[in-house]
Amino acid sequence: MARNGAFAAIAIAALVAVPFVAPHAEYALDVLFLIFLYGAMATAWNLVGGFAGQVSFGHAAFLGIGAYATAIMTQNGISLWISVPVSALLAGAYSLVIGIPAFRLRGPYFSIATIGIGEATRLIARNWSSLTGGVSGLTLSSAPPLLLQYFAALALLVAAVGLAAWIRASRFGYALAAVRQDTDAAETLGVATTVAKTQALFLSACILGVAGSVYALHYLFVSPDSVFGFSTSIALVIMPIIGGLGTVTGPLIGAVIYTFIREQLAATLANVDLLAFGVLLIAIVVFEPRGILGIADRIRRMRKPPAVTVPDG
Amino acid sequence: MADPILEGRGLTKRFGGLIAVDGVDIAIERGEICGLIGPNGAGKSTLFGLISGVMRPTAGTVTFNGRSITGRSAHDICVAGVAVTHQIVRPFRDMSVVDNVMVGAFFGHRPRPRGRGGARAAAMEELEVCGLADRAESPARSLTLGGHKRLEIARALATRPEVLLLDEVLAGLNPTETDRTLDLVRTVRERGTTIVMVEHNLRAVRGVCSRIVVLVEGRKIVEGDPDTVLTDERVVSAYLGTAAHA
Repeated sequence: MARNGAFAAIAIAALVAVPFVAPHAEYALDVLFLIFLYGAMATAWNLVGGFAGQVSFGHAAFLGIGAYATAIMTQNGISLWISVPVSALLAGAYSLVIGIPAFRLRGPYFSIATIGIGEATRLIARNWSSLTGGVSGLTLSSAPPLLLQYFAALALLVAAVGLAAWIRASRFGYALAAVRQDTDAAETLGVATTVAKTQALFLSACILGVAGSVYALHYLFVSPDSVFGFSTSIALVIMPIIGGLGTVTGPLIGAVIYTFIREQLAATLANVDLLAFGVLLIAIVVFEPRGILGIADRIRRMRKPPAVTVPDG
Repeated sequence: MADPILEGRGLTKRFGGLIAVDGVDIAIERGEICGLIGPNGAGKSTLFGLISGVMRPTAGTVTFNGRSITGRSAHDICVAGVAVTHQIVRPFRDMSVVDNVMVGAFFGHRPRPRGRGGARAAAMEELEVCGLADRAESPARSLTLGGHKRLEIARALATRPEVLLLDEVLAGLNPTETDRTLDLVRTVRERGTTIVMVEHNLRAVRGVCSRIVVLVEGRKIVEGDPDTVLTDERVVSAYLGTAAHA
């Protein structure tokens, strides 16, 4: 644990130093920015999909609400100090509205419901033109300085991973792990399982709301198909699975791989990246469902002599 | 019985056309070990489900410590102080043995232990009682069936119940494991926990229970002390069939 903390501190210090050491490496800074943003989003998704085992295919809804809220408030001259927290809370409030009915469903039924919720939210954004600008979306005029964006995304990532690490070792984390493995058994041990799932979804949605703010201020453009798109929801599922579902650092590792594949392949040939993700996903599900961290664990075990197993007495 | 700790009145559970539990009245005395027996399909596990909140009764009430807990959720009833073990063991397979028990310690009946350290200490205590302390760090899925049964008990005990419902904890155990588990049941009772156990092993029931309730086809047919109940003609015929049937 102390070793993980020291490693995290060194990594954060190095990432803080990058823009000062290489201020003109704009492409690299941009890629790092995307990794931070996607890493934070994947970590947030993992609180619900990984820790609590409730796989959501509709998480883009929360990103979109954060993005639209910030875009609309910024257009109306409201300070970011107000608009960003409000965006987070709006996304969180929306998660309660959909989570309370959706969590009456279990397993695959919940997952299917979230597809519907995500798509319904996108269609509302398309058709509520007076608020959202409809299909053509909303455009912002000026972005915060790139350096500020970089640090905002880094701060969001650190907060998200820190929160995940804290939850995992906490009483709340035990509740979520129990829910994931056997919801009924968790209930009979006193865990209010629906409350725990709803709390996890709320935290997850708030982080995605802030990610939406960062997104809107970076791209200066939000439209229903960009922020509410199904492909965004899918990306949020893919990253934690690649890295390691239900782990603290897995989603971040997944985000690094996701961002590189997308940046490298999408630039060379359209849609090749989707093929690559498909192949990667199938390979992981078939060969190592625990993702990259599972592979790392296997390598570690191969190097160590196998532990002697004591028969159960 | 002047002041039962747990009381069910007219408990009924209907699944479509099938009546699994049919108007059962049952009163559990504080500090006793009560056996609940009956042939397969008599409604014993269903009755446990109705008491522990896993299922809602179609009719009837459950009272615990003088307060109605009828229709409350399973987690609420656990927090109130009634814990249940599962006939088919349901460990959190990917967690270690001690982490499994910590879930019970973290949640469950109040007062709860403070923080992660407190929960862990409480969990280790129950593992000690249940003879699983040396397996604390093993993954739960690595236990044998006997180990799994004891884990169920440890996890339920960690919720600090006033009443513990044991659903066939002896099923599938060898004679040595059975004796160990019966000793464990007695130890738990000596700590002041009231126990109700569903059991098929009649010899074990006779050895450990102070009172027995017999269910047949969803109805309570007889209750009383073990020797009287187990020689009762209706009980014998329910288990072995009557001469006319044979």
